[in-house]
Amino acid sequence: MKIYIVVPAYNEAKNIGQVLKDLGKTKLPVIVVDDGSKDKTYEVAKKHKVTLLRHRVNLGKGAALKTGFEAAFLKRADAVITMDSDGQHKISDLPQFIDKLKEEKYDIVFGSRDFSHKVPLVRSLGNQFALNLIRLLFGVSVSDLTCGFRGVTKKAYKKMKWESSGYAVETEMVIETGKRHLKYCEVPVETVYYDKVKGVTVLDAIHILFDVLRWRIAK
Amino acid sequence: MIIFLQLIAVSFSLVMIYFAVLHYQRGELEKIEIVSWVTIWLAVILMAIFPDFARKFSDEVLLTRLFDLMVVGGFVLVISMTARSYLKTKKMEKKLEEYVRKEALKNVKKSS
Repeated sequence: MKIYIVVPAYNEAKNIGQVLKDLGKTKLPVIVVDDGSKDKTYEVAKKHKVTLLRHRVNLGKGAALKTGFEAAFLKRADAVITMDSDGQHKISDLPQFIDKLKEEKYDIVFGSRDFSHKVPLVRSLGNQFALNLIRLLFGVSVSDLTCGFRGVTKKAYKKMKWESSGYAVETEMVIETGKRHLKYCEVPVETVYYDKVKGVTVLDAIHILFDVLRWRIAK
Repeated sequence: MIIFLQLIAVSFSLVMIYFAVLHYQRGELEKIEIVSWVTIWLAVILMAIFPDFARKFSDEVLLTRLFDLMVVGGFVLVISMTARSYLKTKKMEKKLEEYVRKEALKNVKKSS
């Protein structure tokens, strides 16, 4: 099974170097999608042995992931593992995803953070509320809705094709998993938060909430 | 007082017609759009100058006051314009995303 790592990046010049250095040790092919960064993210990523793609303008995480996935499947990947570019995910957790994908029992492998410590309280509460809502509306049950550390097979990607271009993509992936009856599992992952202002903000969360209700009605 | 309000309404409508024509001349509005806008603002001018005529019409549609008719008309206009601009923005966003992503994937296709 050919597995690619896809790393969407936006203004991560400070952290992406270390992330790519760590990923280099895994010998897995890496695709970085620079989503219109205004800093030196592209230049830093260029120094590493990766496939580097660039969005001329910032489109959002969902669009960057879509570009990364399509590039991987053009390169004949069978599955993709997504990781954030801020270094919050540890490469030591990668083997769990690889093992689950190689078992070929699952279409999607969701990373699941331990919310009992280290995760900001607002995120933890927001995640809990959203999990219950998704369970209620779509009947799909995962323990972490917004973790960006995931493994997706080509078959699953072809089935779901998300419409979100921003941070709602992770939630939409979970919803699509339920709607398309994809087989999924979860693996525990370690997460370190370096930046409290990046990622899903409260405003993003409100937008996502409206999207969730819209998907329930119209999707 | 009424004449003062009428003057404001007429002046505002004339300014809006000027802007509509200006945007048309710059090529930012199509023929049908400029005709629609000028018609709307001319109607406002007519209603401001001849309120009795509009009042008769508002009685016909069971709206007791002329002001109510204008508020309802204004809401209809604003909601339809908001819906239209929302759809246009969505369409533009989608086109932009497609273009940017296609550009990004160009080299991958070449290298694979």
